[in-house]
Amino acid sequence: MSRHALSVLVENNPGVLARVSVLFARRSFNIDHLVVGPTEDPKVSRMTIVINVDSEQLHKVTSQLDKLIEVIHIEELDDATAIREKLWVINDNGPRPVGAMANSWA
Amino acid sequence: MSTATSTATSAPTSPAPLTGAETLVETLKRVGVEHIFGLPGGCILPLYDALYETPGLRHILVRHEQGAGHAAQGYAAATGKVGVCMATSGPGATNLVTPLADANMDSIPIVAITANVPSAAMGSDAFQEADIRSITMPVTKHSFLVTDPNQIEATIASAFHLAASGRPGPVLVDVSKDALTALVTGDAPLQLALPGYHPRTTAAPEAVSDAVDLMLKAQRPVLYVGGGTVRSGAHQEVLEFAEITGIPVVTTLMARGAFPDSHPQHMGMPGMHGTVTAVAALQRSDLIISLGARFDDRVTGARDSFAPHAQVIHADIDPAEIGKNRVTAVGLVGDAKETIRQLVNEFAARKAAGETYDYSDFVERCNIMRERYPLGFDEPEDGSLSPQYVIQRLGEIVGSEAIYTSGVGQHQMWASQFIKYEQPNKWINSGGLGTMGYAVPAAMGAKVACPDDVVWAVDGDGCFQMTNQELATCAVEGIPIKVAIINNAALGMVRQWQTLFYSERYSSSQLPSMQVPDFVTLAEAYGCVGLRCDNPEDVDATIARAMEINDRPVVVDFRVHQDAMVWPMVPAGTSNDAIQYARDLAPNFGDDE
Ligand SMILES: Cc1ncc(C[n+]2csc(CCOP(=O)(O)OP(=O)(O)O)c2C)c(N)n1
Repeated sequence: MSRHALSVLVENNPGVLARVSVLFARRSFNIDHLVVGPTEDPKVSRMTIVINVDSEQLHKVTSQLDKLIEVIHIEELDDATAIREKLWVINDNGPRPVGAMANSWA
Repeated sequence: MSTATSTATSAPTSPAPLTGAETLVETLKRVGVEHIFGLPGGCILPLYDALYETPGLRHILVRHEQGAGHAAQGYAAATGKVGVCMATSGPGATNLVTPLADANMDSIPIVAITANVPSAAMGSDAFQEADIRSITMPVTKHSFLVTDPNQIEATIASAFHLAASGRPGPVLVDVSKDALTALVTGDAPLQLALPGYHPRTTAAPEAVSDAVDLMLKAQRPVLYVGGGTVRSGAHQEVLEFAEITGIPVVTTLMARGAFPDSHPQHMGMPGMHGTVTAVAALQRSDLIISLGARFDDRVTGARDSFAPHAQVIHADIDPAEIGKNRVTAVGLVGDAKETIRQLVNEFAARKAAGETYDYSDFVERCNIMRERYPLGFDEPEDGSLSPQYVIQRLGEIVGSEAIYTSGVGQHQMWASQFIKYEQPNKWINSGGLGTMGYAVPAAMGAKVACPDDVVWAVDGDGCFQMTNQELATCAVEGIPIKVAIINNAALGMVRQWQTLFYSERYSSSQLPSMQVPDFVTLAEAYGCVGLRCDNPEDVDATIARAMEINDRPVVVDFRVHQDAMVWPMVPAGTSNDAIQYARDLAPNFGDDE
């Protein structure tokens, strides 16, 4: 098992996030981290998904993702750990002790 | 009601705008729909109003939406055309979930159209609101929700494109009621862009050449033919490929008829209730050439001991199938018809160039096995009717031109074993999902699609009671199907497992179907002819009588012996090597001969 970061371009339609997460849930893959954001094209969104799987599972999940009609492009990003840390900063909801955030404002 | 044609002639300047519902009907006509199976309700009333007396579009009013869905499946499976079903919001839509899941498993092209509550009410738990787009996400190829009337035409047209192209499958379009009643204005697109959908139909030439390399080196190759060859209409190519190579062929439950049963290279069906020869051929193979099949667990048995010495060439239109269940040496992503044509050409060229191969030992061994372990059954000692005999005689008397549908259970396995299939699209069953209740509505759909063909539903007494209400539809709409109920007064397949694996503790598997219901009077109540047969001597005459009736549906209650079992059998979860030819009888694979 190792950490992989996928950058997934999807059509910016309501329901796309549900479709992607249903797919992961069905195969019991736990999503480590997930960020959805806009791209320059208003019709396209980017999902950055960090998962902890072995390479065979990774292959299976990407080929299943690719089958979704609204998934346009999938790319594996190089440094999954670094990306995950950056995503933590963006989300600011990493595994910190309760109150850590409040304290950091003090 | 205004239609496109009448407005086009009456308004010389610009045609009067259509409502969303009228646009939807026009789009159905544009994509070639002729038949719809459905049942209306509050939210879909605007669409039914637009459908009313539309020339060229026949709506068949079913008695239950599940029947509409399976009828659309039977229609599609018999013809390859996209089947269409329709239901209202909430319970109407949720009643379609089983057929959608079924079509998804067996790659059947259908489009389901549902209406939903007005968009302003969505999310408020309005009366008969169900989020059917989300509910069906994991069991459809795709599901759409449309709330903008300008998107209706493009979405419907794209739904038909998605259902029929690539790996076929079910597509749902849910339309809010307000989108049906509003006028379509402005420039509505004709087709959606679908930027993420690019099915690949032609396999890479290098991969084809690699595949033929493996074939020429192999000594024990098997052509493992699956339902994808039926969907792609590749039966002619399969025949040519088999004949040019001489390789033994097995056809899966979904592919019965893709290769003629009478062909000397045919070794039967693989899998849990397959022939000993087909199972043994795969187990002993050194190269499995999979054509539109998916290494389903009912075929492989315990996966770690399936065909341990075989390399795999896997041809499939769906790239996600390749390597999903079995490590693959060469993957061929493409339409089965095209891919097999490529393989035939490459093999022929290499043969012409003088390359050699030799499968003769293996072919001979397969032929010996087939002689030694034919499909068969024991007649019951008490002289009662054996279910296999009924089904065998049905196939012999009715012939391989007819269409046969089935439910799920013992009768399904016997119908796949003892009826001989020579052509594709004649055997229509629920393989992947295993849906009891499939037979009668699927037969109805097949008969609507092929009115000149004889259509028999081979059904169990359990399955029949799940969807027999569609006999009313058949009687009223003039759809004269024929139903053979293999009445063993039990949920037979469940009972068989209880006999074999649960010490004959028949927990909830007995049915009083010799008393309740009385299938003959039930059939008559539905406006059908009801016949009964409980004696081997009367089987032929009863089938002949049923064949004479063409103005009404016919239901035959064949009362059969309860203890008959489906053999051969690989017990669930065990290795294919553990196949039993009959109870406690392990076949000799001939390894030490
Ligand atoms: C909808 C549904 N419910 C339950 C099952 C489980 N099941 C598989 S076969 C079977 C028995 C079917 O009985 P019957 O229709 O009488 O056919 P038989 O096996 O006796 O030929 C059951 C209950 C199923 N496949 N589908």
